[in-house]
Amino acid sequence: MKPWSQVALLAKREFLERVRNKPFIITMSLLVVAIVAIGPVVSRLAGGDDEVTKIGLAGEEVPGIEQELEAQAVLFEMEIDVERFPSRSVAETALAEGEIEVVLIDGTEITFHTGGSSRLTALVQGAVDTAVKTEALTELGLSENEIAAVVEPIAIEVTILEESDAQDEAKRGAAFVGAILLYISIIMLGQFVAMGTVEEKQNRVVEVILSRVRPWQVLVGKVAGIGLLGLLQLAIFAGAAYASAQLADLPDVDVAAIGLPVIASLLFWFVLGYTFYAFLYAAVGSTVSRQEDLQGTLMLPIMLILPGYLLAIFASEDPDALVPTIGSWLPPWAPFVMPVRIAAGVAQPWEILVAIVGTALGAIALVWIGSRVYSGALLRTGGKVKLREAWRAAVE
Amino acid sequence: MLEFIDLNKRFGDVIALDDAGFVVERGRIMGFLGPNGAGKTTAMRVVFGLIRPDSGTVRWNGSPVGPEERLRFGYMPEERGLYPKMKVRNQLVHFSRLSGLSKAEASDAVDHWLGVLGLAGRGDAKLDDLSHGNQQRVQLAAALAPDPELLILDEPFAGLDPIGVESLAETLTELASGGVTIVFSSHQLDLVEDVCEDVAIINEGRVVLSGRLDDVKNRSRKRRLTIDVDGEPWVPDMQGVEVVNGPGPSHCIVNDDAPVADLLASANAAGTVNRFVFEPPRLTDLFREAVGS
Repeated sequence: MKPWSQVALLAKREFLERVRNKPFIITMSLLVVAIVAIGPVVSRLAGGDDEVTKIGLAGEEVPGIEQELEAQAVLFEMEIDVERFPSRSVAETALAEGEIEVVLIDGTEITFHTGGSSRLTALVQGAVDTAVKTEALTELGLSENEIAAVVEPIAIEVTILEESDAQDEAKRGAAFVGAILLYISIIMLGQFVAMGTVEEKQNRVVEVILSRVRPWQVLVGKVAGIGLLGLLQLAIFAGAAYASAQLADLPDVDVAAIGLPVIASLLFWFVLGYTFYAFLYAAVGSTVSRQEDLQGTLMLPIMLILPGYLLAIFASEDPDALVPTIGSWLPPWAPFVMPVRIAAGVAQPWEILVAIVGTALGAIALVWIGSRVYSGALLRTGGKVKLREAWRAAVE
Repeated sequence: MLEFIDLNKRFGDVIALDDAGFVVERGRIMGFLGPNGAGKTTAMRVVFGLIRPDSGTVRWNGSPVGPEERLRFGYMPEERGLYPKMKVRNQLVHFSRLSGLSKAEASDAVDHWLGVLGLAGRGDAKLDDLSHGNQQRVQLAAALAPDPELLILDEPFAGLDPIGVESLAETLTELASGGVTIVFSSHQLDLVEDVCEDVAIINEGRVVLSGRLDDVKNRSRKRRLTIDVDGEPWVPDMQGVEVVNGPGPSHCIVNDDAPVADLLASANAAGTVNRFVFEPPRLTDLFREAVGS
């Protein structure tokens, strides 16, 4: 039997037993419902009727204007609602009270209450223009098709050479959210890894397992199984958040603006960062014999993670500052900081390479160190095993 | 054939194994005996790579034991433990597959052993929900299901009721006659005497006695003498007699060259002799002699 198929069996058990666990299913369901609900609820509370632009008409009627306004709205990718008012004064009162955003009077005058939008002006102007010209051409005796050929607006393709600030913002925001998610996930999943390790030690099942497989296999299987669980969780949450944004019809949530490369890079750093810390958690977890003793021991990984999180915050403010820059090169913090700097566009290729290679080597070293501590500490029960003792007592 | 060759292991100041060595022949059942802390569990753990000896090796059929060989071994550790919240059948299949069985093989083997061990209906129960005795049976099933060539069982009879003891003894005998090599430790010496053909006794890390039970008994220079004079405890008055305390007739351990005729004569002089037995020592006697208490 190949060592890796045993690792796969171990990972599968780890994943399935956790996914089938009732409390896990219940917690996940509640969280998903909460996330899906939050978008629509917030948008309703904030007055989600902003989406539809209301346009008022007053005074002399322009024939076919309503139709043309709708047609222009499609071109402008806006949703509008047209309302006719009996007189100019009534329309202006409605404008003042915010019931409508703009009013077209006599087909010759566009009135805003405050500010004014060039986009809306262009929309109304286009509509009036088309309506008036259609009218004139009809009088000249042109057929409908001929008129359409003349007045139909020409759709012009818009290309943006330089990405706008909004897109940069979206990327940087995504990288920052990624750092926070990584922070939360590592602390949670790391806790799972450490607790699982202690549990097996406490139940003594570890001796049954280790009579069949080697310590590194147990470690890699556990970390992989729990990592898959973490990815599944992330996918479910991301799906729920996307559904929530769709339900709320938030125009700000634009996955396309973040872009696949950024999402892929976040995923990559997530896997790398999780792997690095998960093996640390496993090693640390194996040194205690009871769940009650675990909390104190977990301070070590948390003390390492916390600076990474803080550096990510600094980097999102000032991605070129010295401290976050150095932090983004070093294994324990690169997974948090580097994605933020990459998204900000300041990371040089060599820096990214250093961060990736460093973290990968760090993770490999931790597999080795972790397995050794794990194998040395696993059969020692009662009290806490010192890291150094565990290292010396290692089997392989 | 399983060979322990000159195993040495120290834990700090404690010598757990001191040039420990013995051989278990294929298809035989060996009782591995010794007082608490003598090194039994350490020796068993060495077989499974759970403890690395300071020196010495364990060989299976002539070659050193490694991960591949271990997959053909079954182990029931002294410290019982499985996943408490996992369904019995699921975890047995998991462990069998870790030992290299395919899904179908593992499934069949687990069902077979659940049936044999009287747990046929309990496969879907969580381990936690079973009685102590049944959990012990599941633990045994975890060792047996992968169809091992070698079984190493640390105190398999501890915690079983008399019927459980009997059926486990039967199961082990059947397995051995099918070619499985079995080593188990126990403190129940009468049981070992009934079940085992071979014994090894370890004391303070040294194997002080090992071999076929009959040979070991015959090789011993000690004899067990049971004398019952009119129901009264009567002890022969001679040098080198060691009295084994217990109810009923008096049991003594004497050397094999003890003057049996003289002893019988003096017993006759003391009263009516109801019983006078001069026989090879029992395993208990050998054990007591070997560990020197």
